[in-house]
Amino acid sequence: MFRRFAISCVLLVCALPAVARTRPHYGGALRVETAGDPWQLPDGFARRLVFDGLTRIDANGSVQPALAVGWETDSGDHRWEFRLRSSVRFHDGSSLTATAVVASLNLTCNGNCPWTAVHAVGSSVVFTSDSPMPNLQVLLAGDEFLIALVVAADGTTPPGNIGTGPFQVASSVNGVLSLKANEASWQGRPFVDTIEIRAHRAIHDQWLDLSLGRADVVEVPVEMIRQAQQQKLKIAMAPHVELLALKTVEFGALANPMVRGAIAFSIDRGAIANVIFQKQGEVTASVLPQGLSGFACLYPTDRDLSKAQSLRGGLTVPTLTIAAESDGVMQLAAQRIALNLHEAGLNAVVAAQGPNSARADLTLRRFPLAGTDPSAVLDEVLRSAGDSLLVADANPTSLYKAERSFLDQHTLIPLVDLPRAYALGPRVRDLHLIAEGLPDLAGISVEDAP
Amino acid sequence: MKLIRWAVVALSVSIAAISGNAQKSGPWDQPAAALADQIAGILGPGQARFTLRNLSTISSESVSAIQALLERDLKAHGILLAGDEGANVVRVTLSENTRERLWIAEVAEGAITQVAMVETGPIAEQHAVSTTGLTLRAQTVLTSRQPVLAALETPGGWIVLEPEQLVLYLRAADGFHAQSRADIGLKRTLPRDPRGIFRADVSPTQFNAWLAGVECKGPTSPGQPPAEWTVACHSSDDPWPLTPATSLASAEIMENIRVNPVTGFYNASRNYFTGVLAPSTIADMPPFYSFAEVPRSVGAVAWLIGSIDGRVLLFENGSLKPIAGARDWGSDFAVLHSGCGSGAQIVASSSGEAAPDSLRAYELPALEAIPSSAPLEAGGIVTALWSAPDGRSILAVVQRATDQYEVDRVSALCN
Repeated sequence: MFRRFAISCVLLVCALPAVARTRPHYGGALRVETAGDPWQLPDGFARRLVFDGLTRIDANGSVQPALAVGWETDSGDHRWEFRLRSSVRFHDGSSLTATAVVASLNLTCNGNCPWTAVHAVGSSVVFTSDSPMPNLQVLLAGDEFLIALVVAADGTTPPGNIGTGPFQVASSVNGVLSLKANEASWQGRPFVDTIEIRAHRAIHDQWLDLSLGRADVVEVPVEMIRQAQQQKLKIAMAPHVELLALKTVEFGALANPMVRGAIAFSIDRGAIANVIFQKQGEVTASVLPQGLSGFACLYPTDRDLSKAQSLRGGLTVPTLTIAAESDGVMQLAAQRIALNLHEAGLNAVVAAQGPNSARADLTLRRFPLAGTDPSAVLDEVLRSAGDSLLVADANPTSLYKAERSFLDQHTLIPLVDLPRAYALGPRVRDLHLIAEGLPDLAGISVEDAP
Repeated sequence: MKLIRWAVVALSVSIAAISGNAQKSGPWDQPAAALADQIAGILGPGQARFTLRNLSTISSESVSAIQALLERDLKAHGILLAGDEGANVVRVTLSENTRERLWIAEVAEGAITQVAMVETGPIAEQHAVSTTGLTLRAQTVLTSRQPVLAALETPGGWIVLEPEQLVLYLRAADGFHAQSRADIGLKRTLPRDPRGIFRADVSPTQFNAWLAGVECKGPTSPGQPPAEWTVACHSSDDPWPLTPATSLASAEIMENIRVNPVTGFYNASRNYFTGVLAPSTIADMPPFYSFAEVPRSVGAVAWLIGSIDGRVLLFENGSLKPIAGARDWGSDFAVLHSGCGSGAQIVASSSGEAAPDSLRAYELPALEAIPSSAPLEAGGIVTALWSAPDGRSILAVVQRATDQYEVDRVSALCN
C-alpha cells in the first residue's frame, strides 16, 4: 500500500477505454484552465513552463540537475557551489550566466533569502550561510527560486516573463495566456506547439469546457474528486502531496505551550478529512506522511477533548482568530476548527479574508510535500512555516526525534494529508504529475497532433 | 543491583547468540534481534506486555514468524512477556515507507514512552511472467540509472548507447560492469523521447551507433591489454539503417536491397523517421516510428511500418496495406525468429496508459495480426525494442522508474 504512495503519481483512468501506449506525438495545442493566476506562487502553471530552477524534483521525488549540472557542499553545509549548464539561453537569446542567476535569486527573495550571500564565481553560483543549509539543493528546486532574466544584455529591465523553460510567452489577451514551444529548450523541444492557459476560470466552467471539448486539462479540487469520479472523468491524481496544517503564533495567549497543546488535542481531524474533503485526504498528526517516513503511525490522530481541557486547565483564553488561506473549502475547515475549539472551552472566530487575516492567532495553510528525502521535506515545510529545525542525522530515529520535539511545541499542528487531481480530456497523452502533484505540461502530447 | 541486572542480560544475550546461530535462517532474524536489542537497552530485564501490528506489505504468515522471533529474542534478553498485568508495554509496529521497511518499538514505562527503530532493507520488487500459449520470457541482462537508447551485445559484454555517452560493459563474475565510458561530446539538444540504434553487422570488431543528428563509430572491445576505449562521433544527417546488411529482401520489394541495407532518414528534432528511405522505394512511406522486415512466403519479405498516426502498414508487392488486429499495439515492434508456429513472429509493445506496458507475439499470415502468445508484462514502460542480430531473441529497454532502466532479452518457448 505504502509503496504506491505519493511521490510517484497515480493516474486513475475512469470510463475511457485503454489506449495503447504509443510514442508521444509532436505538434498541436494544449488547452489548460485554472481557477487561479498562472503566474501565482506557489503553483501557477505558467511558472514551471517558462522558468527553470537550478535543480528540479523528478516524478519520484528525487533531486535532479536542471540549470545546474552539479553541486558540491563544504564547510558543514555552510557553502554550496552549483555549476551551471553550458549553452543555455534565455528566451530572448541571451546566455544564461552565473551573474544572471544571482541577479534573479537576489530579486526573488529580496533580502529574505535562506542563505546569507550568493555570488557568481565563473560559471558557478556560490551560496554561503551563517547557519548550515543541509538541503539547499532541494530548496532551490522550489517554485520561488526559478530563474528569470532580470537584466537584459543591453542593461535594460526586460519583462518579468523571460526564462529558459520549455515554453515562452507568446501573448496574454483577455485572460488567456498563450505559450509557444521553445525550440532551443535545453530539455528538448516540448511535444505540443502551444499551450493556452485560461486563467481565473471557475471550476464549474472548467468542467463544462472539458465536457464540450474546449479544454484538455482542468482542475479538480480535493473536495470534488469524488464527484469527478462519479462523473467518470479521466483523472490524474497524486496522493499526499500537500499537508493541511494549523500554524499558531507564539505570543499573547498562545505563548503558553499548554494552550497550543489544548488546541492540538481539540481538533477533530476525521471530520475535516471526511466531511470537508469528502474522504479524499488522510488524517495525520505528523509533518511527514506515513509513506515518506514510515513512522507517522506513531502520532495519535484522534481527538482527545479531556486532554485538551486538562491542558487548558483553568486558564481564561481570550477569543482567538483563525485565518484560512484562499478558497471556500479552507474557510469551511477553519469554521469546523473553531467549533472544535469551542467544545474544548476555547473561543475562536474565523477572520474574514483581508489584511487583518495576516494578524490571526491561527492560520490554516497547505504546505507542499515535494520529494522523497524525508529530511529535506521536513526542512522545507518548517521553513515555509517560518520555523527551522536542524536534523543532524537523516536516519529514521534521529528524524523522528527531531520531528517529535518540534511537534511537541504545537506551533504547527498537522491535520490532513491532501492529494491533488486534474481531469483530462480524451486528447491528452502522457500526462505525468511532478513531485508537488502539478502536471508536467511540458511532457504532454496530444492525440490528434498532425 | 544494576550490575547484576546487566550481567543477566549479557548471559542471556550470549545464550541467545549461541542458540540463535544454530537457528538463523530467514530474512527477519537479524532485524528482529536488532530491535530486541534496542528494546532491552531501554527496558532492561523484567516483565512487559507485548503487542505487534503490521502496517507494511509483509504477509500475515511472515508476521507470525516475526512475532515469534521477537518474543524469543526479548526472552533471551530477560524480558518476560506478561499478559494484561504487565506495567511496562512494548508496542511493535511493522511499518514501511517508499524505500524500505521500518520496524518500530514503542516502549512505555509508566508515563514515559521511548521509541526504537530498525531499518530492515529495501522492499523487493515482484516481476511476474506470463506462461500461457507461445510463451514469451524475459531475462534482464543489464540495468542502468541513465536512459538506455539502444544496446549491442559484443563477445565480451555490451555497449550501451545513452543520450550523452556510450558505455562499454564487460562480463564479470557477478554480471556486467561498466568498464569504459566515451562521451558523445557534441553540443546539441536532444529531443524529448530520444532514440538511437546500433549496427555491428559490417565488422564484428567495430560498431556504428546513431542517435538524433549524430553518428558514432568505435571498437566493440577495449583491446588487449585493456587500453582507453576510443569512440569517434560526428554530426550527421545521414539515414539510419533499418535492415541488416545481409537483408533477405527479395525482388518483390527491390532487388538492390539484397546487398545494401534499407536506410531511413530520421527527424533529429523529433522522435520518428521522416518516411524517406534510401534507396528510394516505389511508394512513398508515411512518417513512421518503427520498421521491421517481416518474412512472408518462402524467400520473400515485406516491410512492416508503425506510422506516427497509429496505423500499422505492410509494404508488400509495391503497395502499402493496413494491418488489422494491431489496434492495441504501441509504437514499437520487432521480429522474433522463434522457430515456433510459422517460424517468425512480430513482438509488439502494448499497454493501456494506467498499466505497465506488455509485450506480445503476433503471427501475420495475411493482413491481420493474430496473437500467438499471452502478453508478457514488462514491469515498466517499453522505450525501445529491436531484434537481436541473430533474430532469435529481441531486446527491450524497459523504464521501471524515472532513473531505473533495464535491457531485457525476450525469447520464446514453443508449446
